[in-house]
Amino acid sequence: MSFAVPEHGISAVLGPNGSGKSTLLRLISGLLEPDSGRITIEDQPVGTADQRVGLVFQEPRLLPWRTALDNVAFPLELAGVGAAERRERARSLLELVGVSGFADARPHQLSGGMRQRVAIARALARDPQILLLDEPFSALDALTRERFNAELLDLWQRTGTTILLVTHSLAEAVFIADEVVVLSKSPGRVVARVPVPLGRPRTQQMLESQAFARTASVLRAHLAGTPAELAAEEARAAPVRDVLETAGAPAFFDPFRGAS
Amino acid sequence: MRFASWVFGLLFAAALVVGCSSAPTPTPEPTPTPLTKLTVGLGYIPSVQFAQFYRAQQQGYYRDAGLDVTFQNEIDPNLITLVGQGAVDVGVADGTSVIPAVGQGVPIKYAATIYAQFPDIVIAAANGPIKSAADLKGHSLGIPGEYGSSWIMLQALLASAGLTANDVDIRDYPDFGQAVALQQGQVDSATAFRNNEPLQLAQQGFATTQLTIDQITPLPGPGLIVGTATLTTKRDALTAFVTATLRAMDEIVANPQLGLDDTIAQVPDLGSNRDSQLAVLQATIPMWSSPYTQLHGSGAIDQDAWTKSLDFMRGLPGSNIPSSLAVDQLVTEELLP
Amino acid sequence: MSSTRHAWRSTLLSVGSAAVVFVVAWKLIVVIANYPPFILPAPEVVAQRFVSAWADGTIAPHALATIQEIVIGFVVGAGLAVVVGYLLARSPLAERLLSPYLVAAQATPILALAPLLVLWLGTGLAPKVVICALIVFFPVAVSTMVGIRSVDRRLLELGRSMRATRWQVFRFLELPAAMPQILGGMRVGATLAVIGAIVGEWAGADKGLGVLINLARGSLFDFPLMYATLLTIALIAIVLYLLVVLAERVLVGSWR
Repeated sequence: MSFAVPEHGISAVLGPNGSGKSTLLRLISGLLEPDSGRITIEDQPVGTADQRVGLVFQEPRLLPWRTALDNVAFPLELAGVGAAERRERARSLLELVGVSGFADARPHQLSGGMRQRVAIARALARDPQILLLDEPFSALDALTRERFNAELLDLWQRTGTTILLVTHSLAEAVFIADEVVVLSKSPGRVVARVPVPLGRPRTQQMLESQAFARTASVLRAHLAGTPAELAAEEARAAPVRDVLETAGAPAFFDPFRGAS
Repeated sequence: MRFASWVFGLLFAAALVVGCSSAPTPTPEPTPTPLTKLTVGLGYIPSVQFAQFYRAQQQGYYRDAGLDVTFQNEIDPNLITLVGQGAVDVGVADGTSVIPAVGQGVPIKYAATIYAQFPDIVIAAANGPIKSAADLKGHSLGIPGEYGSSWIMLQALLASAGLTANDVDIRDYPDFGQAVALQQGQVDSATAFRNNEPLQLAQQGFATTQLTIDQITPLPGPGLIVGTATLTTKRDALTAFVTATLRAMDEIVANPQLGLDDTIAQVPDLGSNRDSQLAVLQATIPMWSSPYTQLHGSGAIDQDAWTKSLDFMRGLPGSNIPSSLAVDQLVTEELLP
Repeated sequence: MSSTRHAWRSTLLSVGSAAVVFVVAWKLIVVIANYPPFILPAPEVVAQRFVSAWADGTIAPHALATIQEIVIGFVVGAGLAVVVGYLLARSPLAERLLSPYLVAAQATPILALAPLLVLWLGTGLAPKVVICALIVFFPVAVSTMVGIRSVDRRLLELGRSMRATRWQVFRFLELPAAMPQILGGMRVGATLAVIGAIVGEWAGADKGLGVLINLARGSLFDFPLMYATLLTIALIAIVLYLLVVLAERVLVGSWR
């Protein structure tokens, strides 16, 4: 397995269960040590629990006995930051992820989505260079998930943190990332690195676009292990596609962004 | 929730009533019955000190008197309530316990003197400085605890010398090791039973001075107690019991060996060391009589002594004995021959 | 009405009605079975004696002595138990080595150990504190061990990802996570501590509620006082239990 994630970019890691996606994240964050090979951030090798990395797990993993504010402040507390300073920082992070009104709520009082936002805020607490997210929205319902994808992009635009997102959702990977790294099933290998030919900022409209669909089918083919067949199919479909593109795309009403 | 606790309360009440409905109610003695059953409570373990009861049982004096006697072992506080309740017909209990018990409404009476001399005494090393009650001042004294007949005796003894417990350094030995402590020199004096510790210490070569209370305050020693209800319903049986017991007692006084033999026949475990048991019995026998009983017969109750004791106990600090309590509520001689 | 106040009110109501039923049942038994006061005094007699014994200072010094024994014994026993429980949770070796002793200590009846302790330590405060500590130790140690062991592994991994030190993991993750279990063990321990104190006093003491029971029963033959003392002991146990519940509310709140 070998790939690079560009600074300030977003990469997605897509793979079936058992491909070692979660292990990969733990290796990058320094929770696990590789048996062989190197992982570096800006050419510096990754240390144990490297604090240049912010980690968001699949479940929020908030401390249930702490308020949202104190949860976000937790990594700072461990690092010895004073109470007033860390609370202030936590407050601004909560605002960043859009839950500033719930600073004093306990996790059990928050919805799943809000908890995950708090987890993201916490991961940003120590201003990491890279934010790793391990299927962070897989526990949310589909609608919320779409919304969170958009908000994650929004967050990225505001903070500029490098993001590496592990997902098993094709749509999510394509929507969010600049490049999708496809892993095979166990033992996981990098099967392909597929660039996403969509402009920024990403809109919901793009979900319907040809470029999206094409990228998605490329990914699907790599996942299924049939890239060659895809190329053949592409060739057959090319003339029809050209006609459609020149005729213009149908009018589209995006419930999130208004009429196109 | 309220309903549940109401149901629970009812069940609880029902269970208690059912479980306690076996509370004994006095029934009149049917005439004539083969043998009247009597339960007799004797101290907290079997001992050669109860030889007269064992002899009367072994020699059939009880049976001849139409009684079917069974023995039980209970400690004083339990025995007093059991006798008051009627669950035990007659028991051997401290006279000094009878006074507060009757004062608090326990329906019992002291019906016969067994120990005419008070068993609790204070002992000290024979070659030491303590020869009288007054000498106790400023010295240390070992006692099981500040309760019971030994505590009352001690207060009476000290009072006779114008002292109180504050004038003595009292040490508690809840394991009843105060005599051993005396022997080892940990304390200057200790409470003891006249027929017990001084004997054991003497056997080990440690002679003791013994301070007794009888000439100072005539406290009533252990004797037979009966419930006032039982007195009415089983009067004849109880009278027969007392007569048989006193007869056995007199026989043992004349010939202690008889008492030893019958004790071991009744309680074989005590036969493992005949010599020491005989020594205890021989030390016990003198306590069964006093100038008063020699004059008025075995088992006689010295009402004058009781009056003095009642007044003394009433005056003790922390006493709850009502001023209206009179001796005729405490004792009765109707069962004596 | 807020939910907490509502909860308190319904607790008070159920406790109150249970108490009323109990007293009524008691009175009924006394009346129906016609018990004399030296066997079972009526509830109003005991209540009156309770009030008078507190008013004239009969019970107070003994209650103070017993409470002292309980509090010190509980603190010592529970404190040690949390430490040992933590060790047992973290070290399978420690568990294998120590468990036989713990179980043996727990299995030996306190009633049998108490006189021995008095023999070794005298009739002062020390043996009662030891007995209380012993009786409190096992439930708190076990509940601590279980609580620490059941801390969510995912939270521990979170701690690792944040480079928490051993002490930080204990203080910020393990202890708060295990707190409900630990406090649950302490609830049991608090009521057991009361038993321990009384048993310790019966083995040898000159003051305390256990001593007062014996005095009332065997020297004074004041049976209402004996029952009033029992009532005092029960009240102390209830108060202690409620204190632990309160601590739980404060330290844990309701994050479930």
